[in-house]
Amino acid sequence: MTTLPTDRRPRRLIGTTAWYVTALFVAAVMIVPLLWMITIGLKSGSAVFEIPPRLLPREWTWRNFIDGPQAIHFPRLLLNSTIITALSVLGGVMTAMMAGYALARLRFPGRKVWFYLFVGSMLLPGVVGLIPLFQLYKSIGWYDTWLPLIVPAFLGGNPLFIFLARQYFLAIPYSIDEAAKIDGAGHLRIFTQVMLPLTRPAWITMAILAFQASWNDYLNPLVYLYSSGKWPLSVGMAAFISPFAGKTPDWSYYMATNLLYMLPPLILFFVAQRYFIQGLGSLGSTTQK
Amino acid sequence: MTRLSRPFQRGNTRSRGGLSRSAGSDTLAAYLFIAPAIIGFAVFVGYPLIRSFYLALTKYNGLAEPVFVGLGNFRRLFTTDPAFWPALRATGYLVVLYVPLSLILGLALAMFCNQRFRGVSLLRTLAYLPVVLPAVATITLWKFILNPQVGLLNTVLDRLGLPTSLWLQSPTMAMPSVVLMMLWGVGGTMIIFLAALQAVPTELYEAAKVDGAGPWSAFVRITVPTISPIILLQVILQTTAALQTFNQPKILTNGGPGFSTSVLMLSIYNNGFPNLGRIPQLGYASAQVWVLFVIIIAVIALAAKFTSLWTYSDNTPD
Repeated sequence: MTTLPTDRRPRRLIGTTAWYVTALFVAAVMIVPLLWMITIGLKSGSAVFEIPPRLLPREWTWRNFIDGPQAIHFPRLLLNSTIITALSVLGGVMTAMMAGYALARLRFPGRKVWFYLFVGSMLLPGVVGLIPLFQLYKSIGWYDTWLPLIVPAFLGGNPLFIFLARQYFLAIPYSIDEAAKIDGAGHLRIFTQVMLPLTRPAWITMAILAFQASWNDYLNPLVYLYSSGKWPLSVGMAAFISPFAGKTPDWSYYMATNLLYMLPPLILFFVAQRYFIQGLGSLGSTTQK
Repeated sequence: MTRLSRPFQRGNTRSRGGLSRSAGSDTLAAYLFIAPAIIGFAVFVGYPLIRSFYLALTKYNGLAEPVFVGLGNFRRLFTTDPAFWPALRATGYLVVLYVPLSLILGLALAMFCNQRFRGVSLLRTLAYLPVVLPAVATITLWKFILNPQVGLLNTVLDRLGLPTSLWLQSPTMAMPSVVLMMLWGVGGTMIIFLAALQAVPTELYEAAKVDGAGPWSAFVRITVPTISPIILLQVILQTTAALQTFNQPKILTNGGPGFSTSVLMLSIYNNGFPNLGRIPQLGYASAQVWVLFVIIIAVIALAAKFTSLWTYSDNTPD
């Protein structure tokens, strides 16, 4: 660093400049669409279709952030999404942790078989279940309820989580269980009072992945929910801009509301950034271990 | 492949002498702990697999009992259905366009972000940002970005004096536009490659430098072989995901214009869950599901076969 040969300095400078120019371009590609979305959200309905288009609004229509969500029934959709997501995160993390605990730390006949079955089911494309499960839910009266979106999570819904939980449990020293057992603790107590605190990073990561999966899910609520009053944000938002009876959707209302729709995952990302990265790192570890 | 052997053996060497009660109660406790997952496996994996295979061989509208038709659905798919081959072609086009671009751009971006410059962590965060946002939110945003009259993309291209396009409204540009939108989420690929790159031992690069290797040969001889398992994993994950793309074509184009973006998933959805007034063809849609399923299994099997051929495996004892 300090003793660079003099002839290499200009090359280094060119390299640095090229890096920053490229970085600026990449950053712009990622961020400009979002900034543009906000400007659309601030334009009045007719100004959106002005030709030639202006990049910034002439009048800043802040009211869109109140009228837009009202027109889209945002509060209702947000409440629905929140309930569905909260319950499926809870169920998905809880049952995966339980299964991971058993597969990693208990000896029982069938342990390997179940592990391979769970891991193997990761390869099963979700679409295979779509039609049989739709019929199943319909026959037991679950069509047009939230149950098809929530109950699967409470039945170990995501095999990836079971795999991640098991991997994490395997890395904890077994002497800890032995000590707890000698103190007379049963499996339920070891699991809740010893293991859950020790595996915090694992279940936070899983909770984030589960949150994203449920908050983003579009196909399942689209298939299972008929009444608009029960829709989560994904279906409600998409319905607002799909062309209906030849009516042009109000894009400024939509974009203002879209920003609000993006906020919860955005806030979560900035608060828990390292868990996002960790989650993906653990995904990579599927092949490394 | 040898490194795939179980890294943690301690579970098997646990002392059992002093805890005679453990063997029996462990089994009961274990099955109580995995009971939810086992029920879930039976209901969400076992049952649908068998049931959808059966339905694929039937004519079924969801109301009357399914009527067994043998391979009739498949015959109709491959010979008479005018929408099936276009759906297969659209799906193939999407995969061929999206997967290589996503991998190349993802790896390039990861290498770009794996250098020591001020602000590089901010850049990583920004690149990952679109991945965090809800799919519907970003897809609808891009639907408007790609609007030919007032969208951001044409506005910018026009100001720069570059040619504009009809994007989603043009039969030839619709699929590339869908892929362009999907590539906005390349940060997801980047972040996995980045983790892999950071695990490459730096001594390897130093040794290569001493031996006089340039950046390109270091990339080809060190980087690619070392991260090859991750590349393979990404090929499998991205191809299977791309084969099941639904949200983007559904929201951006609903399959149009013509059949240009009518991917298989969209066709399955439209046959199985049609608009009001039309009769669902659940048996027929199940047959389509099985065609897609077989393609996915074939991709995974093919990739697994190639693994042994070209991925680097560390056979030296640890």
